[in-house]
Amino acid sequence: MTTNSRQSILDSVRSATKADTSRYEDVPRGYIRTGTLESQDRIHLMRERLLEYDAEVVECAPPDLPHIIVRQLQHSGRHHFVAAQRVPADWLGDGVTWRIDDNLSHEEIEQCGGVVTAASAGVADSGTIVLHHGPTEGRRIISLLPDFHLCVLLASQIVETLPEYFACFPEPPRLATYISGPSATADIEMTRIKGVHGPRFLSVIIVRDDA
Amino acid sequence: MTGPVMDPRIAPPFPEAAFPILQNTQLRKNVAHATDVIQAKRNHLVAEKKDWQELRTSAAAIRAHVLANLATYLEQFEKNCTAAGGVVHWAKDAAEARQIIIDILREEKASEVIKIKTMTSAEIQLNPALEAAGITASETDLAEIILQLGNEEPSHIVVPALHVNRQQVRDIFARRMGLPQLPDDPEALTAAARTYLRKKFLTVPTAISGANFLIADTGSVAIVESEGNGRMCLTLPKTLITLAGIEKVVPRFSDLEVLLQVLARSATGERLNPYNSLWAGVTPGDGPQNFHVVLLDNGRSEILARKVERQTLQCIRCAACLNTCPVYRQTGGHAYGSPYAGPIGAILTPQLEHMRHAQSLPYASSLCGACYEVCPVKINIPEVLIDLRAQVVDQERNESKRWTDPMYMGMKVANFAFSSAPRFRLAQWFGRVGLRFFTDKDGWIRKLPNLGSRWTLSRDLPGMPDQTFRQWWAEKEGGRSRETEPGKEAR
Repeated sequence: MTTNSRQSILDSVRSATKADTSRYEDVPRGYIRTGTLESQDRIHLMRERLLEYDAEVVECAPPDLPHIIVRQLQHSGRHHFVAAQRVPADWLGDGVTWRIDDNLSHEEIEQCGGVVTAASAGVADSGTIVLHHGPTEGRRIISLLPDFHLCVLLASQIVETLPEYFACFPEPPRLATYISGPSATADIEMTRIKGVHGPRFLSVIIVRDDA
Repeated sequence: MTGPVMDPRIAPPFPEAAFPILQNTQLRKNVAHATDVIQAKRNHLVAEKKDWQELRTSAAAIRAHVLANLATYLEQFEKNCTAAGGVVHWAKDAAEARQIIIDILREEKASEVIKIKTMTSAEIQLNPALEAAGITASETDLAEIILQLGNEEPSHIVVPALHVNRQQVRDIFARRMGLPQLPDDPEALTAAARTYLRKKFLTVPTAISGANFLIADTGSVAIVESEGNGRMCLTLPKTLITLAGIEKVVPRFSDLEVLLQVLARSATGERLNPYNSLWAGVTPGDGPQNFHVVLLDNGRSEILARKVERQTLQCIRCAACLNTCPVYRQTGGHAYGSPYAGPIGAILTPQLEHMRHAQSLPYASSLCGACYEVCPVKINIPEVLIDLRAQVVDQERNESKRWTDPMYMGMKVANFAFSSAPRFRLAQWFGRVGLRFFTDKDGWIRKLPNLGSRWTLSRDLPGMPDQTFRQWWAEKEGGRSRETEPGKEAR
């Protein structure tokens, strides 16, 4: 049944467009593709945007990262954290309880108060954290069920505009999640409420590997 | 009062449906508030974007390019999605799409599905079909839960429950979730929904989604959302079915750099919406291991074939045209009798119904052009509205209606009178004498009898002046005018 429908749909589409000539290369691209900000201002903008989303932002030098991670986790008031399978070992500091995601069940992940992941990119213009769910970012589920998400973003991963992000990854990822602030809804009287189903708390550490 | 009918095949004509709504002050207040808030946010963020017009130009060009090459991009999407582990189905119409989905669910032995808000599912009236097949469909978007639990109908493409206020939401949740003590602040209501749904997310193994974009060069699907219910449905279940109109495809992954920017700003007034999810087929160990895409035509290829109407398919469902429309802002969505409301609904719904239903919708507009101005993909909605009106008139002219409908009879009489100068002058004289009986002292006509009352019901009419322009001119020129013998003036 569907095979016939496939053919008949494609036939009608073809006959509807047979007189058309339109080349992809001719699509006008007059919009801003490359940012103009210096590194310091770019990071500042990223920080401002994240703060607008009520995310928590701290910056640190690379050697301080393990210590800052633990501090931020303890600060969150939670105790059990899940981490992607291949996060650097020195991220998994003492003082909190870790669960490494070696195919944990939904229930096991759900029981964790928070999650720690790396990121693939940050887009300053929109305050967006990009996850491609590689080995240090983890399966999609671990950054979804826990209520608190601590994301480690390198300053060198931050671009200014969305087009710059796409230019950085000519080979598109199989999975991607773009996070711009904690989950939110405005469905009731347009009142913005933070935290519906995803993590209600987003905390970002910007590692100043650019200095 | 009975509720609104949202099936274009049986819904009353727009003016009839709009009338009771215009008397519902609470609903109008809710709609006005919501559209004002979204518009203010949208306008602010559009103003800050220096390259907004360039983004619009590109977005429109990308969408137009896709439509011109739709078959190629659909095949490319199918090939790449299949290679990534997805199964692609094709549905000519709503009935076939429903059957495909029900067959998949039966094979999975599913008794319940969780759903991400999808306009296309409402278009094909999937939920009633699932119920009839013994499958419970649970909506997971907050607004959709409000509507589903409250037996309400959607009234907006992006914020479908904008006509319901917090007290009404509280009452619905208190009753249906068994929470009599629930307060009515949005925070508590949202938390109640979170708890209510968490269990469903963790236990129901099958989900249905729509798609914001299908990406041809990667075979992936993009879902744009705010709440995270989308991510839950895309990640936790074992089986995922995505239902998408064939026009949803875009050429390349990187085209999202344009489309995501214009969509978020136009839809919710955000620089980027909180969550965008992208996935290609099936990823071992991560998310659903059975993935189906149902590509739906349902009248779209017919729209594609029409020169003026084709642009309707460029739509990315941001609903900016609803928020700015002076008609929608008064009536809300229910009067449109279709899940697609507002200006885009006025052009899309009758076309999806092959111009056999919803013919009143192209008239539900003042043609002011505000919708065209805000549209992020530059759909010239007024142009399409006018073309559809012409189609409706052509249809009616071919029906026996032309012999009975007062409007058509009136047009025929007008045509007869206006096509000859003496007849026109005679008609003017009759009009002036006749209307004198209905003209108030101040020169305005406020109440006409019979058919004329349809005009004066909502607007006043200036009375006829004492003389015509020609008479005035002849007087002013002191009789020097050539207009002495009726019917002999220059043509």
